[in-house]
Amino acid sequence: MPETMLEIINLKKHFPILGGLLMRQVAAIHAVDGVTLDIKQGETLGLVGESGCGKSTLARVALRLIPATAGTVRYLGRNLFELGKKEMRKLRLEMAMIFQDPYSSLNPRMTLTDIVGEPLTVHGLAKGEEKKKRIVDLTKKVGLAPFHMYRYPHEFSGGQKQRIGIARALAGNPKLLVADEPVSSLDVSVRAQLLNLLKDLQAEFGFACLYISHDLSTVRHMCDRVAVMYVGKLMEVAPVKEIYTNPQHPYTEALMSAIPIPGKRASEKRILLKGTVPTPIDPPPGCRFNPRCQYSIAECAKQHPELVEIKKDHFVACHLRK
Amino acid sequence: MNDPLISINDLKTYYFTEEGSVKAVDRVSLEIKKGEVLGLVGESGCGKSTASHSIMRLIKRPGKIVGGKIWFEGKDLLSINNEEMRKIRGAEISMIFQNPMSSLNPVFTVENQIAEVIKLHQNVTKTEIKKRIAEIMSKVGIPDPIERMKDYPHEYSGGMAQRVMIAMALSCNPQLLIADEPTTNLDVTIQAQILELMKELRKDFGASILLIGHDLGVMSELADRIAVMYAGKLVECSDLTGLFQKPKHPYTKALLESIPRLDVQTERLRIIPGTVPRLIEPPPGCRFHPRCEYAMEICSEQEPQLAEVEKEHAVACHLYTSDKKSSHRRS
Repeated sequence: MPETMLEIINLKKHFPILGGLLMRQVAAIHAVDGVTLDIKQGETLGLVGESGCGKSTLARVALRLIPATAGTVRYLGRNLFELGKKEMRKLRLEMAMIFQDPYSSLNPRMTLTDIVGEPLTVHGLAKGEEKKKRIVDLTKKVGLAPFHMYRYPHEFSGGQKQRIGIARALAGNPKLLVADEPVSSLDVSVRAQLLNLLKDLQAEFGFACLYISHDLSTVRHMCDRVAVMYVGKLMEVAPVKEIYTNPQHPYTEALMSAIPIPGKRASEKRILLKGTVPTPIDPPPGCRFNPRCQYSIAECAKQHPELVEIKKDHFVACHLRK
Repeated sequence: MNDPLISINDLKTYYFTEEGSVKAVDRVSLEIKKGEVLGLVGESGCGKSTASHSIMRLIKRPGKIVGGKIWFEGKDLLSINNEEMRKIRGAEISMIFQNPMSSLNPVFTVENQIAEVIKLHQNVTKTEIKKRIAEIMSKVGIPDPIERMKDYPHEYSGGMAQRVMIAMALSCNPQLLIADEPTTNLDVTIQAQILELMKELRKDFGASILLIGHDLGVMSELADRIAVMYAGKLVECSDLTGLFQKPKHPYTKALLESIPRLDVQTERLRIIPGTVPRLIEPPPGCRFHPRCEYAMEICSEQEPQLAEVEKEHAVACHLYTSDKKSSHRRS
């Protein structure tokens, strides 16, 4: 059994909404509302959900990029929220991130060398010739050529920019890589190149990966386990094969059936969800999915179901599956 | 059923930039039959949106339609005057765009915006207009239309705003509906709702639809035929099953293999080497040849023409049309 790398325990993040004459807090956005999840060493965990469900916020809070409202995050046994600034900074090296939009996540006034070299300088990992060698190595690893070294971001295509982002993330030899929708802004043919690259790099470097996406087809391709999120809560967590062939939560089921498959017309059995995702400002009481759920029973509107293990490694939060 | 509603012949739309002319759509010929849904797919920058904007004559400077004809109801849309074109736009051919939020005017109510279309094309009274708006809004699945039409676009969610766009597009019973990536910005569950709606409306209204997109899954839900574009050229055109089961053009084949699938688990994805060429100086001959694994000598010399190789299945590739098929295969 691989060791747990990142342990997220009952994590909450509420963003205050200020209003009124005195700008007091009048409400809160319950972006992440009690999430417990762990990432094991070397695995890729997929975090899926529709826009606004809190998946990016969860990643940001878990890496302590923004403060949490409540809860604990343990990285290799150490509570991240209790660490001092200096210690946290050291750990940042081991937890890297790549972002959705390669256009806005690279400084337009820095060359590739500056961008990839910055983490090396900041953390004092390498200097002079050695640093240069490391940068060349990283550049080659992500499939760029040494003649790209002194170019600026605008001279690269979207796919190449994302490669630079990956090289920067790998500079500190991370143990955990958080990839927030890394390919969703890219074209299909380029997307395939990057997905393959990420898989190769993971095999080589052995980092664990939190892969955030709304695209269930790429998640199936990339991940070992999948966690499904809906309005700030986890609905289901299971190994990738389980979740695609045997989804247990009604939301997961609907999500799977909503995806159009190339070359096939949807069958009559498609589950069409009514309405839209509720706002996290005033989430429905009980199970957050109950107003849209076709199986909902009286209990669903009263109490939020806990995430329980119904089968080995398969967790579901649903009153019907207890 | 089989008469073409609109036929595009040799359409050329170029953008004249300081660096040179970008041949965004280069000699594209395409037909949309009455009542059919034609899917136009391709990666970003391949010219699919430019082609659709050309039909509506919505190309702005520095772009220009340089050549070709677009026949619609016995008229060439490219040679009629602006006044006549305005009568067709929105009434006989209408359009829905990718981002509903930025296509709706934020300072007018939804009622106002739908009314504008109806007023422009039809001579009806105010009460009649209101009745029509309520009718069409409930048809596209907006609950409580009488109340909702008084709302502003920001009071609508993304999926609902797209329904408003569809209502607006259908308000004058168009013969052709151009849908440019209608579900790209929406979440999957909302996308499924909109696709379902479009399927129903198709039955009700009987309009032909030109569906533009890059998601082959979405295409499969609606389209009867699919046309594939690459770097300003049409490379393949076929009925839905033919394209997915027997893709002919190497680009289409590679495209189909490069998408991760929900129904099959794959270890590695197919990669198309290189990137899409710049359209200022496209490669000579077949535009795909520098990235094509089957490229032959003739591919860099001569441009392949779109030819029907099977019933209802046309492809522009020397592998299927050239006699030199077996010779000179480049390693």
